[in-house]
Amino acid sequence: MAANTNPKQKALVIGLIILGVLFTAFFGMRVARAFRKFDGHRPPPRGEVETDVELIRDWMTVKFISHTYAVPERILFEALDISPNSNFEKSLKDINEEYFPDQDGYVLDLIKATVQTNLPQPPTGPTPPKAPAP
Amino acid sequence: MSEFFLTQVINFGTPLVGLILFLGALGFPVGASVVVIAAGAFSQQGILPWATTAVIGLVGALAGDTLSFSIGHYAKDWAQKRFENSTLWFNAKNSFQQHAGLTIFLTRWLITAVAIPTNLIAGGSGYKFSHFMAYDIAGESVWILLYGGLGYMFGSQWELVNDFLSNFGGLVLGLVIIGFGIRQVIIMQKAGKKEAYKNAEA
Repeated sequence: MAANTNPKQKALVIGLIILGVLFTAFFGMRVARAFRKFDGHRPPPRGEVETDVELIRDWMTVKFISHTYAVPERILFEALDISPNSNFEKSLKDINEEYFPDQDGYVLDLIKATVQTNLPQPPTGPTPPKAPAP
Repeated sequence: MSEFFLTQVINFGTPLVGLILFLGALGFPVGASVVVIAAGAFSQQGILPWATTAVIGLVGALAGDTLSFSIGHYAKDWAQKRFENSTLWFNAKNSFQQHAGLTIFLTRWLITAVAIPTNLIAGGSGYKFSHFMAYDIAGESVWILLYGGLGYMFGSQWELVNDFLSNFGGLVLGLVIIGFGIRQVIIMQKAGKKEAYKNAEA
């Protein structure tokens, strides 16, 4: 940098470059980590239901989970032992706060377990033709 | 905040996507990019109609951008008076006018963190609204198609896409800051050399 440059301006530019390097390093590492996570994660083919219950989040509603995992809403509400009325559009977090305020994360865990045990069975392949009797 | 909006998108559908993108374009911290990716995923899952959602989302984002451009436009006189003698303001305005189109386009989808200041500067610097709109439509379309499309492709695994894209934006912003800093160093060096040459001549 030129020697006769305003020191304030010089400090500002150096600060800016340092900030840029910090930003790049910080987000670069996060991008690399996020990119690695892509490996091995693919959504189910179109027409097939999701089966990974670890993707259930507490902002989801029972209706949405029922649709995504093809598990009837009735089963999920029965597991929670609450009425579907007026709870249809509530997130799991809201249901937890309303009905189980002392048990943090209870609704999320219960829904994951219920979905896991009630996932629809994968379609079985065509049965091989029986061999003709001798 | 964005988790609250995701629940509402599930419940109220497409109109809410439009509203969220409108608020996001005005600078409200609603997690607009998260909602675009999630809306793509919800479309893949059959919860939202993808074409209607894309159009309404685009209209919402454009309306928000227009409003923030207008705020900049109507605050122009105030800014002019306030920063009349500021060389920084003058340089920022000039620099913006030189690369306005590219700046508007890229801040819609790649460096979204500086989209609002860009709208305000565009409005405040007297940039032509029709030009702003043209770049805005192009940039917002890329944003919705790219982010929403990735959400659609990854379906229920959309959070991976969000994690990647949100950090990628930060990485690009960092590189832009470094590039800007290096450019300033070169400008300063050139100015210094010129001055030294003038002094030597004198």
